[in-house]
Amino acid sequence: MSVDIQLAPVIRFDPGEAAFGSARGGNLAATALRAGSLIAFAVILVVFSLTAPYFLSLGNIGNVLGQSAISGVLAIGLTIVLIAGGSNVVTGGIDLSLAANMGLSAAVYATAVQLGYGDATAVVAALVTGGLIGVVNAVAVVGAGIVPLLATLAVMNIVAGLELVLTQNTVIPAATPLLTAVSSSGPFGIPVLAYVLLAFALIAAAIVQYTPTGLRLYAVGEFPDAARAAGLAVRRLVAGAFIASGLCGGFAGILSVSNLSGSTTGSGEMLLPVVVTALLGSVFSRRLVPTVIGTLLSTLFVGFLVNGFQLLNISSVLVSGVQGLLILLVVSATTLLRK
Amino acid sequence: MSAALTVKNTAADALHLENIVKHFDGAVALAGASLRVRRGTVHGLVGQNGAGKSTLIKLLAGLHQPDEGRIEIDGQTYGKLTPHQVEELGIHFIHQDRLLVPTFTVGETLFLGREPRIAGTPFLDRRLMQRRASEILNDYFGVRLPNSALISELSTAEKQIVQITRALLDQPKVLVFDEPTAALVRREADILFRLIRRLRDEGVTIVYISHYLNEIEELCDHVTVLRNGEDVATLALGETSAAAIARLMVARDIEEMFPKRSIAPGKDILTLNRLSSRGKYHDISVTLRRGEVLGLTGLLGSGAKDLIRTLFGLETATSGTIEIDGKPVRSVNPAQSVDRHLALVPEDRRANGVALDLSVTENITLSSLKRFTQLGFLDFRRERREADDLIGRLEIKAAGRDALVRTLSGGNQQKVAIAKWLSRHSEIYLLDEPTVGVDIGSKVEIYNLIGDLAARGAGIIVLSSDLPELIGITDRILVLFRGSIVREFVSPETSPDEVLAASTGSSEALRHVG
Repeated sequence: MSVDIQLAPVIRFDPGEAAFGSARGGNLAATALRAGSLIAFAVILVVFSLTAPYFLSLGNIGNVLGQSAISGVLAIGLTIVLIAGGSNVVTGGIDLSLAANMGLSAAVYATAVQLGYGDATAVVAALVTGGLIGVVNAVAVVGAGIVPLLATLAVMNIVAGLELVLTQNTVIPAATPLLTAVSSSGPFGIPVLAYVLLAFALIAAAIVQYTPTGLRLYAVGEFPDAARAAGLAVRRLVAGAFIASGLCGGFAGILSVSNLSGSTTGSGEMLLPVVVTALLGSVFSRRLVPTVIGTLLSTLFVGFLVNGFQLLNISSVLVSGVQGLLILLVVSATTLLRK
Repeated sequence: MSAALTVKNTAADALHLENIVKHFDGAVALAGASLRVRRGTVHGLVGQNGAGKSTLIKLLAGLHQPDEGRIEIDGQTYGKLTPHQVEELGIHFIHQDRLLVPTFTVGETLFLGREPRIAGTPFLDRRLMQRRASEILNDYFGVRLPNSALISELSTAEKQIVQITRALLDQPKVLVFDEPTAALVRREADILFRLIRRLRDEGVTIVYISHYLNEIEELCDHVTVLRNGEDVATLALGETSAAAIARLMVARDIEEMFPKRSIAPGKDILTLNRLSSRGKYHDISVTLRRGEVLGLTGLLGSGAKDLIRTLFGLETATSGTIEIDGKPVRSVNPAQSVDRHLALVPEDRRANGVALDLSVTENITLSSLKRFTQLGFLDFRRERREADDLIGRLEIKAAGRDALVRTLSGGNQQKVAIAKWLSRHSEIYLLDEPTVGVDIGSKVEIYNLIGDLAARGAGIIVLSSDLPELIGITDRILVLFRGSIVREFVSPETSPDEVLAASTGSSEALRHVG
């Protein structure tokens, strides 16, 4: 700063100018990019529905929904952390422990069943496992002040290690009435998992998008100083987001046990697709922020992409390529908008 | 706060901050400042950059805690304030950096933290939020904003109005405005002033911080002047004038000495010929000689800072030439500048001047490592010798040469920043606000150091808004106003008032230019 005492305003009287005429509509390039990604989504779906005859059938749609249920629940959990932690991928909110969390929760469920406990106990055990992992993340991030990227990376390794100890790296089979019910078909021949995903997304959306707590989560993530100035309990909200995400991991674990009739190894491979899906979701919101419904749509888009490629007998290797391209579009759009 | 203590409140002062002391990383921000604001008045707070205004306000907001001193609100004393507590006490801030979430709508922004719910449900009543938001904005300001508009799509003035409105929803007892008109056009500022007067008449106490002294004169009942982290005067506006306030802001205690020595200037070392940068400065022609200390000053936006940055190669000029030691210099980037023996000591030393987490030795030799390298390895012994030598010569007070620079006081950090260039054998020193945040004792030592540099034949340009300092340590002063040199003063023959008048473009002062 140079000298900044001013005896008279320099150029401030401008009677001709309309006082409140700012440029509405925001950043043109960002808008174009966002429109571009949405059009790309639409084009891909239209091409599939024209070339693959079964693509738009109710059965196929139900299948895609069911197959997307587990990754969808995880991505929605991650979305909550993205909202409360801010959209900066490096310093903002992220929960890398989610996939490992699902693996351990599934193993806990299966082990509980093996030990002769009923469904109720097993459900509680899986959710408590997920919730505790969330608590550890919350303590590391909010209490110890570690960047979420590093904190949850460390927790991810611990959780994956615990899973190995518990399962001895084997598949633990589990079959119970609840698991059978969840993995069967529901009304209209659509998998129960599809209904579970939709119901879960609706509940999460109601909380995140339509309650004061949800609004506060956005304030905390977008602009912590503003949230603090508004008297919000910033630390508590961030901690809550990590715990919620942990519970989502536990819930996904239950779905996974049901889907695979037992716990299975290799849950960690789910992580990157889930991160990509959650990041992609912000393109479905006008404000280019993560939303639950946006994440649901992006989960389904990815599901349809894989499904479409399968129906057309195209290598699913291309899926990650298309995903990557869209991520680039979306991330550049959000970055531009924030300038 | 506790119920037992709620005696009937008869204190005449809404706020009373007493003898507040605050240090940041060794730099003195406040050295015993007091501020006493009477209930139901508009109280101005003025001071130059670094005088401590922002720090004082942040302490009041509970964002920082004072090292010493006490804060009294409504006659109650508080040792420690939290932002939440401050809000409960009815004190609200209109911050310079508008604390609004860019992706929120106006309604969401106004009601964040006290969101209305749809009766009988846990859900937000967005429609009510939007309707109330339009009503309130219309009532207070006669402003209509589209319901769907996001904060990021609003103009600066609109954002500010949203922020003020947010504070008003809380029925504040005290409203603190930090440079509220900096981004407003006159008409918007007039709306704001009317609103402030209306609020005062309704019994709200206003603290108003501004660099525009005419606004202080127009709006405030009282004004407190801060200087070097202390309050130097609190005046009633009826008894004073903008000019008198300006004098108080820059006046200097007698005890402060400027040890200026007379050095016979040598050969030209730096020559600028009609240097221009579009939109920043134009037709700057200056000659700096060895042994000369040249002062540079100007308001924010005068181009003085850009000129310094151009000389070091951080910005490029659009036309004109630079000569160093009589040789024209074409492309300039900072690395080349260093090779040409230019040295820049930037204003924000903690961010750009020194590496806080490196030791004194490492900082000193950072720019001249080539001198201490043999066969690709550092010669630590020679490094240490160099550091010890400079620590002694500059009287850098540190726990030792291995002490982290973070642990040094502001003044000693600045000496390290200068020592780095001495080690590089620099000959042209560009010093940007060299004594901001430095205590008085260290200031004098830095002045002495500048004198030493000049005596050894270096050419020095000092950019400073501390006018008595500038007059005290330089040979001549160039004043920039809107990108041009409007006046040149011979330092011993001028006064701070005269320089200040020239830098604010006061017509009376400019008449001398002819």
